[in-house]
Amino acid sequence: MSVKSSIGVLANRLREPFEGPNTIGNTNGFWIGFLLTVLLFAIYPILFGPYAALNPAQFLVFALLAVSLTFIWGFCGILSFGQVAFFGVAGYTFGIVTINIPTYTGATLGIIIAVAVATAFAAVIGYFMFYGGVRDVYVTILTLVVALVLHTFMEQTAGSQWTIGEAHLGGYNGMNVPQDLAVGFGETGVAFDGVAHYYVVLFTLVVTYLLLRAVVNSRFGYAMVATREDEARTEMFGYNTTFIKLAAFTVGGAIAGISGVLFVTWGAYINPSQFELVAATMPVIYASIGGRKSFAGTILAAVAIQYLELQLTGEWAFVIVGSLLVLIILTMPDGIAPRVRNLVLAVGEWRSNRDRSGQSPPAEEVSD
Amino acid sequence: MSTDTIPDAVYVVLRIFFEFTHSFGLLVLATVGLAVIFGMMGIINLAHGEFILIGAYGTTLSFHAGLPLPLAMVTGVAVTTVVGLILERTVIRHLYDRLLDSMVATFGLSLVIIQLTRILFGNTTNNVSLSMGSISYGPYSSGTYRILLAVIALVVLAVLYWVFTRTKFGLRARATMQDAETARAMGVNTDRMYMLTFGLGAALAGLTGALFTPAFTVDPEIGSEFLVESFVTVVVGGPSVLIGTSLGGALLGTIDAMFTWIGGSFLGEIMILIAAIIAIRIMPEGITGLLEDWRQKRREDE
Amino acid sequence: MSEQRLSRRSVIAGSSVGLVSAAAGCIEEGGLLGGGGGSDGPIIGVLEDRSGEFALNGESKWQATLMAIEEINADGGVLGEEVEVYDPDPQSDNERYQELTREAINSEQVDALWAAYSSADREAIRPIVNDHDQLYFYTTQYEGGVCDETVFPVGATARQQLGAVIPWMIEEFGDEIYIINADYNFGNISQDWVRLLADEEGAEIVGSEEIPLGETDFASTINDIQAEDPDFIASMLVGSDHENFYDQRADNELDIPIGSSTTMAQGYEHERLDPPGLADIYVGVNYMPELETEASEEFTDKFYDEYPDAEYVNQEAQNNYFSVYLWKEAVEEAGTFDQDEVIAQLESGMEVDAPEGTIELDPATHHMTHHMRIGHSDEDHNITFDEEQYIEPSFLHEVGCDLTEESETTQYEPSDFYDGI
Repeated sequence: MSVKSSIGVLANRLREPFEGPNTIGNTNGFWIGFLLTVLLFAIYPILFGPYAALNPAQFLVFALLAVSLTFIWGFCGILSFGQVAFFGVAGYTFGIVTINIPTYTGATLGIIIAVAVATAFAAVIGYFMFYGGVRDVYVTILTLVVALVLHTFMEQTAGSQWTIGEAHLGGYNGMNVPQDLAVGFGETGVAFDGVAHYYVVLFTLVVTYLLLRAVVNSRFGYAMVATREDEARTEMFGYNTTFIKLAAFTVGGAIAGISGVLFVTWGAYINPSQFELVAATMPVIYASIGGRKSFAGTILAAVAIQYLELQLTGEWAFVIVGSLLVLIILTMPDGIAPRVRNLVLAVGEWRSNRDRSGQSPPAEEVSD
Repeated sequence: MSTDTIPDAVYVVLRIFFEFTHSFGLLVLATVGLAVIFGMMGIINLAHGEFILIGAYGTTLSFHAGLPLPLAMVTGVAVTTVVGLILERTVIRHLYDRLLDSMVATFGLSLVIIQLTRILFGNTTNNVSLSMGSISYGPYSSGTYRILLAVIALVVLAVLYWVFTRTKFGLRARATMQDAETARAMGVNTDRMYMLTFGLGAALAGLTGALFTPAFTVDPEIGSEFLVESFVTVVVGGPSVLIGTSLGGALLGTIDAMFTWIGGSFLGEIMILIAAIIAIRIMPEGITGLLEDWRQKRREDE
Repeated sequence: MSEQRLSRRSVIAGSSVGLVSAAAGCIEEGGLLGGGGGSDGPIIGVLEDRSGEFALNGESKWQATLMAIEEINADGGVLGEEVEVYDPDPQSDNERYQELTREAINSEQVDALWAAYSSADREAIRPIVNDHDQLYFYTTQYEGGVCDETVFPVGATARQQLGAVIPWMIEEFGDEIYIINADYNFGNISQDWVRLLADEEGAEIVGSEEIPLGETDFASTINDIQAEDPDFIASMLVGSDHENFYDQRADNELDIPIGSSTTMAQGYEHERLDPPGLADIYVGVNYMPELETEASEEFTDKFYDEYPDAEYVNQEAQNNYFSVYLWKEAVEEAGTFDQDEVIAQLESGMEVDAPEGTIELDPATHHMTHHMRIGHSDEDHNITFDEEQYIEPSFLHEVGCDLTEESETTQYEPSDFYDGI
């Protein structure tokens, strides 16, 4: 009995930093579902074979990219179309570094430099926008145009003059990046290929998920949400909302950069189509469908939509996917996650009412 | 040559001017429909290019069915308007207070429209040709039809100006977009105004598709040729449909013509985008927003 | 450089000491629940675009491949076995190509793969193909230079196409050339070839412009050409946006002849656009269905019987068609579907009867020696053919690519080997 309750205390202690008013899944049931989902993803390659994990690895990479958007859009009100810009810049940077330094040292440096460049790029764009008074839909358009500038520029880098060290930018045909995801020094280190890469992606996604939950439920997270809700008032309370937006945007850029590195090591390839309008739209789609205020919703929507797209092979694929997007947006205004949560709560309430009427002990801790 | 007396510089200036008219015509026509739907109503219509596609297909198919080109163009506009109105009633109507969701819905619509077009009419169409020749000057020449399109763009803007300032519909529509509550209190049927305004935006996109049918290859991807240019022009122009679109088109058209002349198509293309970034940064509300501020300041000074 | 370059293989070896993959290595390849994967009989992967940007070009590639397989199956299959086809639509999308290629190789375990229209899609999947040593046929005409142990780029290269048309144009029309090309790999490398060929023939390049993919307005380009008034234009424009050039050319009465490697044979502009937009365009091709040889007419008759609604059967469709037969013959001579042995068989040097004529595979480079013709569109868009040459893939020979001796997975570019471009 005492062992059991101390486990309960420990579990509650563990959960504490990740819970709060800004995340919608805070119940026991939610965390059990969370653990089961992670477990499912973890044993997927064991169930279906290591090869079967290769495509899901990509789904999770794009889920991570979408999470970077959820963080800034859902919690700070910044709808950025430019996450693919940071994603692509990191991917290309990793390629440039590792092609020039084809050792474990290079791979390690590649990760660090790529994410640093993406983060710095996001900080510069963010500074340029937020300290220049650009807001709302103009942020959306400006970030989109940044991605399109990169697209237009990178497409014409086919000539041999566009070479950085040994790395040829490659224009429309893109850049082959033979280096696997790896860490180490010189000739010693660990590389993550195939199924190992899948686990790195899964691990990164879970850790990012938990960290972001902690961030949005921290003081900084409250300030972000306050900025989203009413910028002028938040400013009056003494918060520097411009800085808050810049900081959130920069973190979003860093996460997008990480996903870019994971992407380029997945396919050993990157080309300018990553900066295109359709590519730029996809994270927005995942976040909208999943629920832009829910990281878990975004992740699951990203995986589900990509899985569906891969399964639909015929000429009606786009028609089905497009109609589905319209239908979900019309029927579930805030995306699927809040709808699911309400459903779960309703069932819980119905059950506890039934229990109470049956004179059984009151249900333990309910949500929030 | 008989033109020996005219210095080359004159031809170069003429050439840049005509290349500007091409660019201006394209930008303005690509934008007007979006200026109404995005600029006025605030809906990020990612299916704007596909409305243009419907206009182009309506024109192409009815032309090959035997209609003379002007009538085929009218048909194209009519078809787009009807499709626009149907989509407004079934989808867009539910999204007026959820502007960002409208983006996902219209993205979905654009996927559906492109692929349905492909399934129904194949990967390509027989083209509609309209040979109007060109105007020659010195060593250069410029296609007549593209110059005509720039003139039509100006006419469209003038008609829109008249519609929005001189007709009852225009006044009510503007009132609704600015403050729906008040407009409703004044007895305006705002629901109908939203529908009609959206329909007008769709009709204008259809007109663009119809007008560019003889100039472009009409295939299921044609919409993508207009979407980026149109968003950039709207944003640079700001929310005022008439002044915003014409000034945005004029500014970006000039930049395109100048830089293309200096450094080729790539430079022109990328400078439009960079100009847009700078424009948004220094005038977040577009050119018309800047003009508005300036006018207000002057009024305060007086 | 003191540090040695990590090869992909050594990296994979490195990863197997990794904890996780070691654990995964303990389980069966197909996992606990997954089946063995793939079909029991022979299966080929056909990834050709039927939607998105390249649908216009991909559609008949896909159709012609299926037709070849149907014919082969009706005729008793390969090694007596019926060949299955795995053919989802890649939708002209890079990532989808990567996903479907993994599916094709890992789940379907295809015995040979036909995939990709654009070079970008080919480059996107080539790392995956290399990882699994997958036999892969890339059939689009392309910039050339791919020297890859399991890849057979059987379409004509830019060198073969331009080598047919440019010297002929110089002789016919004069030696002042204006180059316009799509601003990407294929276009830029083609421009390099035009410059090299012009140099060899003593011709002069009087101007050039790289035009971004997606450009629709050619007013400025046309004015620049008018100002230079060359003897002919070398044009490597690509895609439906660039097609606007031809109408604008007609409107502006720019009646300078054009030598090209990209028009008509792939996107059948001469059938889709009204005359006279393509008047006096000369294109270097290995195949166009207008070719009036017996083999060609037999092929087009069969194709239109099979697909009465098809709009055109392009050069790439022909390439897919003959390469399926090439593969069949290699399998039957090798007596097995085993990919290494089939590749070895192909590398022994083979001949195939294609609709374009009988052609040989060059063992060292995995490319074909092609019958290159000059297709000419008159002002009514009627096609005639001017000259025929049998051109081998010489560029890769010159750079020393010999896949029978040394395996590599490189793509060579002319600018790395020749000065002055």
